[in-house]
Amino acid sequence: MFFPREMTEVELIIPSKDLVTATKALSGRGVFHQVDSAYLGIESLGPNAWQEKAANYSALERRIQATMHTLGLEEQQRSASDFDTIIDLGAAHADIDRIEGEVKEVGERLLAEKKRMELLESQLRQIEPISDVNVEVGALSKSEHLYSILGVMPAAQMSRLETSLARVPHVFFTLKEDSQKPVVWLLGPRSAYDVLDRAAKSAYLNPLTLPEEFIGTPEEIAAKTRKAIETSKQAIFGLEAQLKKLGGAHNAELQKLWWDVHVSRLMADAIARFGQLRHTYVVVGWVPTAELQALTERLKAASKEILIETMPTERTAHSANVPVALTNNKWLKPIQELITTYGRPGYGELDPTFMVMLTFPILYGAMFGDLGQGLLMMLVGALAHKRIFMKGLQSIGLLLVYCGFFASVFGALYGSIFGFEGHHIQEYLGFHFEPLWISPVNDILTILGLAIDAGIVILLFSYLLSLFNAARAKDWAHFWFGHTGVVAIGFYLCFLTILNSLLGSTPIAPKLAAAISRLPLPFGILTPIFAVGVMLNGLFRNIVEGHRPLLDGGAMFFVQAFMDLFEGAISMLSNTLSFVRVGAFAVAHGGLSLAIFSLAGTEPTIGFWVTIIIGNIFITGFEGLIVYIQTMRLHYYEILGKFFHGGGMRFEPLRLNPSQEEA
Amino acid sequence: MAGGVSGYAAISAKVRAMYSNLLTPQDISRLSESPDFSSLLSALKHTQYGPYLSALKDNELTPRRAVQQIKRRLADTYASVVQMSPTQARPLIRQLYRSFELGNLKAVLRSIVTVSSSWNADEAPWDRVREVLFPFGSFSTLPAQAMVESGSVASAVELLKGTPYESAVSFALRRFSAEQNLFPIEVALDLDYWRRLWTEARKLKGLDREAATKIIGSLLDMNNLMWTARYKIYHKLSEEELINYTLPFGFRAHDDDIRAIAAGADAAAVISRIFPTIPDVAALLEKPHTGLPKLEVQIKRQVIQQCAAAFIGNPFHVGLPLAFLILSDLEIQDLIALIEAKSSDISDEELHSALLKTALQN
Repeated sequence: MFFPREMTEVELIIPSKDLVTATKALSGRGVFHQVDSAYLGIESLGPNAWQEKAANYSALERRIQATMHTLGLEEQQRSASDFDTIIDLGAAHADIDRIEGEVKEVGERLLAEKKRMELLESQLRQIEPISDVNVEVGALSKSEHLYSILGVMPAAQMSRLETSLARVPHVFFTLKEDSQKPVVWLLGPRSAYDVLDRAAKSAYLNPLTLPEEFIGTPEEIAAKTRKAIETSKQAIFGLEAQLKKLGGAHNAELQKLWWDVHVSRLMADAIARFGQLRHTYVVVGWVPTAELQALTERLKAASKEILIETMPTERTAHSANVPVALTNNKWLKPIQELITTYGRPGYGELDPTFMVMLTFPILYGAMFGDLGQGLLMMLVGALAHKRIFMKGLQSIGLLLVYCGFFASVFGALYGSIFGFEGHHIQEYLGFHFEPLWISPVNDILTILGLAIDAGIVILLFSYLLSLFNAARAKDWAHFWFGHTGVVAIGFYLCFLTILNSLLGSTPIAPKLAAAISRLPLPFGILTPIFAVGVMLNGLFRNIVEGHRPLLDGGAMFFVQAFMDLFEGAISMLSNTLSFVRVGAFAVAHGGLSLAIFSLAGTEPTIGFWVTIIIGNIFITGFEGLIVYIQTMRLHYYEILGKFFHGGGMRFEPLRLNPSQEEA
Repeated sequence: MAGGVSGYAAISAKVRAMYSNLLTPQDISRLSESPDFSSLLSALKHTQYGPYLSALKDNELTPRRAVQQIKRRLADTYASVVQMSPTQARPLIRQLYRSFELGNLKAVLRSIVTVSSSWNADEAPWDRVREVLFPFGSFSTLPAQAMVESGSVASAVELLKGTPYESAVSFALRRFSAEQNLFPIEVALDLDYWRRLWTEARKLKGLDREAATKIIGSLLDMNNLMWTARYKIYHKLSEEELINYTLPFGFRAHDDDIRAIAAGADAAAVISRIFPTIPDVAALLEKPHTGLPKLEVQIKRQVIQQCAAAFIGNPFHVGLPLAFLILSDLEIQDLIALIEAKSSDISDEELHSALLKTALQN
């Protein structure tokens, strides 16, 4: 629950005779993350034949797809169980050869005819704009003084071509405007023929080339071309009808053939990464422990002689190669997305989903406390989640529900409904509603102080989680002397006593800092000790980890050590005070509501209510968004950075069907 | 259509977090001190690239595979930024990402041209090609394998139907058929790519447009200048060809500058005026074989500074993700230089002159 799903490393020895059935069992439900174990095989057996088979299946699959494409057929995915065994390559080749034989000839004729028609249309497009010019097209190229190029070119290159000819006398016509292939005519003196030619070539102006039989004036050529296009269209229509008939006749067979070859290719790809021994294969991979029993049963059913060795995996710092499958729970999805945006947890690391599931909506609610707007946000979130309203927000629908819930809880605590607070509620809404806890607008400094207190609690908790992670990973150097290690926490506690003495008895002074200051501990002595500890934590880590040299960089080490202490103290101050924003936004929410009220006036007219409704929509959308950013910022910078490293490897199980659910 | 604060809230928070994970000039400097390839890999495993490199066993991590694994991180970064970016910015970021697909397309076409002469007959062409392709994943519209296996450039181009490359390549195909040289196709693809990118940047409004044209314009400056210099020096192209093979837009380098160089003006003087902080441009251009790569490195450093500047001030615009993605790409270029240097006999001096970030640490 607090960690990624527990994984078990599985090593299998599969007898050659059961290879296919066992592989099918492994791929069947999307629970087995394969590790390339080809290197465990015996090299003297020669190159792995399955690699070649996989390549052959892949080539065959493409041939089938090409044939289906020619026949206008779409591949239809089937269920994983709708597959018997790896298809025999020879038989599959024979089947596709036979169908391809029937389809290929018609397909190639159709393709050739389409190409011919495309060419004819292109020629017609180029010749039509000059159809009223009463000269032989061939004569244009025979002119003594003029050099002329008629053709098509990329539209984007036209202005560049003109620029490139700025120093050469020329005329440039666009005979036919077209966003893709405009027809152009470039004319210039024959004496500058080489410049014109180079410029035209480099601007990708493709000159018009007409078949020899197309001679005469542009009008005569256009008429001949139109006739040829008509003939070509009829031929295409006939060939397409033939293909449709063939498609109907071969659809079922091709679909079955494609599916068998497709799955065979996937399985051959998987087997190619098994280690091949003389009579057996070695397979290594990972399975979520919860799925192990079911997988083992399926494997045993597939092969009676299979050897299965399982090794539960410890969650240590050395488990970087263990794939990470997060808890599959739809209610946690939006929070998991927030976390994985920051980083995928490592296998040995705490999955912060559950903590963030609490802290994110609570901090959000504390900043956006309003009973009415919170409930509205919940409603919008629920509708978006169900794709009934604002479908674009579907992915964060549930997050809106959670945040809206806590916004309404804090709204009740702050005594705020749709921006109405205190006597306004009685006056305009007609009932009495007092804050159950505190009114941020009326008690600004107290709420700011409380926000800092909350920040201290969250930071200390984050530090403790970091210690927990380090202890589990047996990373003792970082446990004691890391940036969030024991020494750093000691220094943070001392720092809080200093903060308390600075803020004194002001209302903003965090009560937790005051409580820590009252502990019967010699903070005057502890502070310099921990400060030196923070300064020299690099040195201490080197000692614990046995790294040499201990002092890297000589005198510069001490300069850097001092800067580490300075940076550490500044970070602690900024991290702690960063939580002031929680209180500040709670106050700002009240302030923004007051601004809406001053715009609306005092009389409850229609104008008043319209302003209040628009104001509430604005606050819910605009402030809701800003608070979301602030909450995310607090988590990414202040909270997660303390104990969460990420960098885990994604769990990518073998699947026969892309739509198969992840275990 | 969400823009401004609402559209960029999540992505700017994420990009800022990811920006802090980029390697610093000091990190690159430390990595460059690794004595050999295996120590470099060990050091890289302690960076954000660690999980990608750890996915392969040590004995499988050849320099080429290491580069591929490192590129995978960039692919993931792009996928994540594209996914989080607001609707109006997505076409621009997708188009920026296409530069890698463009690289793949060029590699595929080159492989088809060279397949018969130089490759081992025992190894299928696709097996060789796929090792050098950027791991583009599901974003790719390129039927790369089918193209390689089609056996000819003309058949491969047929397979580009429906992709964004169809139009540019179809115009250039006739020249390829006549000249049997991929140069016209590659230039057409480049011009088309950058035109589209610039158009996407110009489609944006307000602050987005300002930031995008500044950053994309900086990249265009670099390309236009380097193209002009290379076409002029290596290909000896004429003025009109130079103009047609470059683009009339950018941030600091204007069309007049490009046309002036094409018409024979002193390229060093023009470049020095555009980038006054780059020293000794004339000396670099005197020995183009060594000087041009150095000049490109210098201009890339200017791009890095331009991108870093996007992180100062208002963060709610497309400049932040764009700058971050470009910085990530340039960081990978540094890592590739490091991997190549540590796995071959490239001297430290040569390596340091090729590294982009180390020069910025002062």
